[in-house]
Amino acid sequence: MIVLPPLVWALLALFCPLLAAIFIGLFARYSGRFSSWLSLAAVLTSLGAAITLLRAQLARPERFLEETVRWLPQGGETLAELGIRLDGTSITMLVVVTAVATLVQVFSLEYMQEESSHAFGRYFGYHSLFVFSMNLLVLAPNLLQLFLGWELVGLTSYLLIGFYWRKPSAARAAVKAFWMTKLADMGLVLGLVVLFTHSGGFSWTATLTPEVATWVSGLLFLAVMGKSAQFPLHVWLPDAMEGPTPVSALLHAATMVAAGVYLIVRTFPLFEQAPDTLTVMTYLGAFTALFAAVIAVVQTDIKKVLAYSTCSQLGYMIAALGAGSVMAGYFHLTTHACFKALLFLGAGAVIHAVHSNELSKMGGLSRSMKLTTVTFVIGALALAGVPGLAGFFSKDLILETLYEKRLWVPLGLLLAAAGLTAFYMGRVVLLAFFGEPRSRAAEHAHDGDAAMSAPLIALAVATVGVGYAASRFAALIGASYAFHVGPVGVLGTALGLGGLALAYMVYGSGAVRLESFALLAPVGRLARSGGVDRAWQYGFRRIALGIAAAVGFIDRYVIDGFMNFLGWGTIVLARRLRRLQTGNVSDYVLAVVVGTIALVAWGLYG
Amino acid sequence: MPLTSVLLLSMALFCIGVFGVLSRRNAIGILLGVELMANAVNINLVAFSRFQGGVVGQVFAVFAIALTVAEVVVGLALVILLYRSRKDVRVDEANALSG
Amino acid sequence: MTHWLSLIVAAPAVAALLLIAVPASARLLVRWVSLAGALVSLFGSIEVARQYDTVAGGLQLVESYPVVPSLGIHLTLAVDGWGVSLLLLTGIIIVAGVMATWTLKDREKEFYIFLLVLVAGVFGVFVSQDLFIFFLFYEIAVLPMYLLIGIWGSSQAVTEAGPFRYVWKVLDIGGKQYAAMKLTLMLLVGSAFILAAMFGLYVAAGSSSFDLAHLGSVKYDRTLQLWAFPFLWLGFGSLAGVFPFHTWSPDGHASAPTAVSMLHAGVLMKLGAFGIMRVGMVLLPEGALTWAPLVGGVAVVNIVYGALSAMSQKDLKYIIAYSSVSHMGIVLLGAATLTPNGWNGAVYQMFAHGIMTGLFFALVGLVYERAHTRLIGKMGGFARVMPGVAVFFTLAGLSSLGLPGTAGFVAELLVFLGAYQSAHSWWAIPAILGAFITAVYVLRAVRAIFWGKGPSREFSELSDARGTEWAALWILGLSLIAFGVWPDLILVFIDRTTPDYLLLVLAGGAP
Repeated sequence: MIVLPPLVWALLALFCPLLAAIFIGLFARYSGRFSSWLSLAAVLTSLGAAITLLRAQLARPERFLEETVRWLPQGGETLAELGIRLDGTSITMLVVVTAVATLVQVFSLEYMQEESSHAFGRYFGYHSLFVFSMNLLVLAPNLLQLFLGWELVGLTSYLLIGFYWRKPSAARAAVKAFWMTKLADMGLVLGLVVLFTHSGGFSWTATLTPEVATWVSGLLFLAVMGKSAQFPLHVWLPDAMEGPTPVSALLHAATMVAAGVYLIVRTFPLFEQAPDTLTVMTYLGAFTALFAAVIAVVQTDIKKVLAYSTCSQLGYMIAALGAGSVMAGYFHLTTHACFKALLFLGAGAVIHAVHSNELSKMGGLSRSMKLTTVTFVIGALALAGVPGLAGFFSKDLILETLYEKRLWVPLGLLLAAAGLTAFYMGRVVLLAFFGEPRSRAAEHAHDGDAAMSAPLIALAVATVGVGYAASRFAALIGASYAFHVGPVGVLGTALGLGGLALAYMVYGSGAVRLESFALLAPVGRLARSGGVDRAWQYGFRRIALGIAAAVGFIDRYVIDGFMNFLGWGTIVLARRLRRLQTGNVSDYVLAVVVGTIALVAWGLYG
Repeated sequence: MPLTSVLLLSMALFCIGVFGVLSRRNAIGILLGVELMANAVNINLVAFSRFQGGVVGQVFAVFAIALTVAEVVVGLALVILLYRSRKDVRVDEANALSG
Repeated sequence: MTHWLSLIVAAPAVAALLLIAVPASARLLVRWVSLAGALVSLFGSIEVARQYDTVAGGLQLVESYPVVPSLGIHLTLAVDGWGVSLLLLTGIIIVAGVMATWTLKDREKEFYIFLLVLVAGVFGVFVSQDLFIFFLFYEIAVLPMYLLIGIWGSSQAVTEAGPFRYVWKVLDIGGKQYAAMKLTLMLLVGSAFILAAMFGLYVAAGSSSFDLAHLGSVKYDRTLQLWAFPFLWLGFGSLAGVFPFHTWSPDGHASAPTAVSMLHAGVLMKLGAFGIMRVGMVLLPEGALTWAPLVGGVAVVNIVYGALSAMSQKDLKYIIAYSSVSHMGIVLLGAATLTPNGWNGAVYQMFAHGIMTGLFFALVGLVYERAHTRLIGKMGGFARVMPGVAVFFTLAGLSSLGLPGTAGFVAELLVFLGAYQSAHSWWAIPAILGAFITAVYVLRAVRAIFWGKGPSREFSELSDARGTEWAALWILGLSLIAFGVWPDLILVFIDRTTPDYLLLVLAGGAP
């Protein structure tokens, strides 16, 4: 065991991936293998540092450390600082990020092996950059640095979604993801500016007047809605599934989209001062949870189901934070990172074997892909909230919180979402892994090798175990936790089990036919229609581009037209005036004489 | 002989010159008109010198006559050049500068 | 008395003189002489930055030579913190510009002569402390542009005539002569305004000296301030691309050859903004305070209007040109806020945008040279054959949309802060919206040019950057990142000078 000061460990965790990214970007891109090892070494260093920090922190949970350096000056004084803040909250997130990133990179070694050497290297370069950006965000001592990391993870998300940039749909999805999050980030920029102006700094512990606090927290929440894919800004997340599946596991399920939740956790002192924002968060989060769950039910693409499920679970977290429980929201973030990464990697293993995302091309995979089936089912059960698994504890805590706060409407929405979650996960498991194979590829599918299996096993273990660490987790972030069985927890669990049972009856035994419920048809149609997405597309194509075209026209023909008119008018006038120049000497002399006489007359009588 | 008579003479001379310049189409005629105008000025100079005393005006007139000679040289050179290029010295035909 | 500043100004001019003696057939020598002139200026600028004492601040490295003492005209050179940063910018851009046009094939000798004369003028403006000489250098910087665009520019029927076909034809719109003429005429009209205001100030200050410090020490009466400030704003503003006098910029930048676009959008437009701040605002505080709402309001229009116009363009060079109009709006907005952060941000944005747009135009030149079209609708999938260009283009785009880690972010953040802290907080909102619209059109362009299927067979000559072009791209790209990660490198100079001038304005404008 090497003994180093915590700051050194934190700097190692932060800068090793950056160095790896720079090195890969400059030199190693033409050797894909070498790039991957470099990237893996860096993220392992980060993970080691994070675990060391975690162990130290567990020994003394209340300790925190903050080191900053000046970044921007103002009149010789300091305007903004960058640095590192180590406390329970940041260290926990650091461990989650580096752990999942390590597993995903290991998984990618095999998953991406068919890529060309160049693309393989590029892929790991992006991954290293992502780990750096995420750590920058996590270790931020103030909101400004958090924003720096926030934008940089957005960049890596853009790059990784567009990894298959030759595919037009991937290119569009990448750009769309950047636009949507950037649109929301306007809120964060403005929030930073307002916060700084009224508190003189970028610290999240500032005390603000109620009005300013509402503005700041509202603006921050706007950015969270974009990054954490809350209704109606969620439309980029399903499209982001165009990226490689391990990327979806890391960025678009476990860590980057959870950055929004982390931002609220971090800046909770600001949010606490704004009850109105919290209320909005609760309702919007709960609504998103249910809304996305409904859409997830009708998806035929296994990754899209998981993507909408991510929206839905992020809704849970936001609702919990809105209800005032940092513990519930943050803990759910942690457990969700484990089981959702597991699910995505499992889906990746399936896609790798079947070469298709469509559930209709799968089926019966449990026979040939035993390990993948077992781990995926563990993840699905955890997501469904089956007692004993990680998802159960955190979801139960969220429901309990809302119950205690007597937020009946959001609670109802979340309970309904819980039932639906179990239902759609049951559907995915049954359609993909059980029944008869529905394509030739599905018949010949097989588990991946060690590089793909090991991360699945590790995440499955975490999914089983992490729920029991709730009280230690609570101690780390300075909250308290005690497990107890309440009525709403029982109800939630019952709904989850009921959802699973219903899924079995519909997709397993065939005892129930959904078509027999006439009421469901319009809901299904609505869920399939992608109405929100279409509204955004209409807004962009017709309204935004329309305004731009109008401005372009005005500039070309009105503003510039006026300048051209001046030029044209000058030319036309000159053409007329040139007639005065007859070229005849006598005319000029006459003009001189007349002019002289006029001048003399003016001099004498004027 | 009063000053007025001399001034009237020079005025008449000047007007004839102006008329010549304006009405003549022949370049040489125009040049002659210009000469008349110049000499009208010279008469004025000499006349004022005579009636006010002093010789500055007369000196100036002699100087002006010398200058006029130079001017005629340039003018006639122009006329010759014009004739060489166009075989003609009518100025209303030489309107290449017309806009 | 040190001579660093005269060295910086003289180096390009001397190189231009040397070039006259170099035979046009010695094509490599022509390039090396130009590059040497540019490099001397760049290293001179770095040396000036090194010598500038940020503790003492104020004007340093002063040199003065009498020119017309009877009228109070002296060739006085000195730098403040703003000047240091803009000297560095100009040095970087001219070195990169010479390198990026290494493959020029037509009358290189004359091209480089005009280019170097122009740059000498730009350097001169940033270090002149005498208004007359300032104006002289300003004109030297503006005028060669006419020849550079008119002779070496590119004509392309890029604009649809629409309902005004007749007028379009009369004026030859889209042609390089048209662009050159339009640019020169509009800028000269601006110069006339500057000249009028300049003599107004000179006379009001006792007709004894054009020295900026002397002119600044006089308290002009309110009437003069109220007419002279808008004159200076319009005059310098026409060069800075102030709406609605920006329309020379898209046509001019689109027609200009690569190095000229780089220099013009990268540095010359900053002369305008620098003039507004250094001459207009500092000399006429009361005028500045009175007119600030208008200046800021128009700047906000610039930001959003320029960005929207860029979004509607189909021609790559026009997109970048309009983005300059939009980004110059951020500079002007920062100036109009009259706050420390806003002013720091304005000068920093001059620097950041200069580098960024220099990189953009260098890349656009590369792409155009190889693809022979500027219409992005025809491009696609270029990243496969020019990955390096794609990376640098993305980098420039990210800086223009204000991504942290690039110089653009620091500048925009400071201006947004200043805008919100100013008397007109709402300015911050459209300014931030402008940054978002930038993200829309920049990423759209990146996708359309470099991503997707392709390139189609008609693009047979595509290739990545070569030789000195790489050097140009690396210099600019690394600068963008370096000054984004460590803004104090430049900001320390800017921040030293801003409070001095701002205090003058706020104190002088107080009733």
